[in-house]
Amino acid sequence: MAERALAALAALAFGTAIAAGLPGLAPKLLPPEQAFRFSARVLDPATLEARFDVADGYYLYRDKLRFTAEPVQVLPVDLPRGQRKHDEFFGDVETYRGAVTVRLPLVAAAPGKTLVVHADSQGCADAGVCYPPNPQQLTLVVPAAGAKPGPYVEAMPKGLFR
Amino acid sequence: MSAKPIAPAIGAPDSPRRRRHLLVGAAVVGAAALAGGIALYQQGQRAAPRDGSAVLALVLPDVDGRQQALSQWRGKVLIVNFWATWCAPCREEMPHFIAAQARDGAKGLQFVGIAVDQVDKVREFAQEIRLNYPSLIGGLGAIELSKALGNELAALPFTIILDRSGSVVHTQLGPLKAARLDALLDRLLSPA
Repeated sequence: MAERALAALAALAFGTAIAAGLPGLAPKLLPPEQAFRFSARVLDPATLEARFDVADGYYLYRDKLRFTAEPVQVLPVDLPRGQRKHDEFFGDVETYRGAVTVRLPLVAAAPGKTLVVHADSQGCADAGVCYPPNPQQLTLVVPAAGAKPGPYVEAMPKGLFR
Repeated sequence: MSAKPIAPAIGAPDSPRRRRHLLVGAAVVGAAALAGGIALYQQGQRAAPRDGSAVLALVLPDVDGRQQALSQWRGKVLIVNFWATWCAPCREEMPHFIAAQARDGAKGLQFVGIAVDQVDKVREFAQEIRLNYPSLIGGLGAIELSKALGNELAALPFTIILDRSGSVVHTQLGPLKAARLDALLDRLLSPA
């Protein structure tokens, strides 16, 4: 009797799991702002250093990565080479894993001036999902000429993952 | 009232006090069983197939710009796949979908893609892989749409399967493996 009840319960639990749709990958996956953490600092009034920290098991596409700033402009630069990956539709593409830093020339950034840096990125998880283009932004203050580089500022509020 | 064990009372000469204990005990057990039953029932309700009317209410343009209502496929086993050309895992699973559509379309299976993408890219890719089911154009806004339908992480591919009665019987973030798809179709397409 008890065994039958248990078997029925097990069947019910199994049935509900199937009906609910197995959660599959969902619990293991990070939201994009945690998988692709954007930060930046002003090295000197002429140089912005932008950085992405890509979580293990995730990658960003090099050709989808863009940085812009306002009201101070950043000049376009060649992004660092990535790892080559063959894509059946797009041909050879390059991807970034781990940390990627990019130094961008700032145009006419006056010390003390506040600038907003925008990053557009798009990436995927090795687990088999991709995230849509992910715009992020952060705000920096240009340090005085000759001063130490400003601190890294993260696009997400501090304390969320540290 | 002292909480005496109930078991020793069974078979023992009845006294009004013992009877009262038995009644209290039976009430407690009964309430517990009822609560358990309700909990299981609620769990069953939560996990039971969800209403798919939000999916069937969607109207989106196809690659030729014609508005297509998903309700036109009501009564079929409907597999709605959110995808994009910029999503390699999405592109990789689509040949399975094409094969299943060719094999089971006559049995009442209908795939519908919703592309989180631009129409020219979708058209080009659809021609390249000889897509044999419609892919509607959702643009980036379709990501929000998929979130409303359960895609909490807003990632792709995301697939929703409706049975013939319009209930959501499966949702999947990430690739729907061919074996899993075939097992689901076996069940959903078998005559009632």
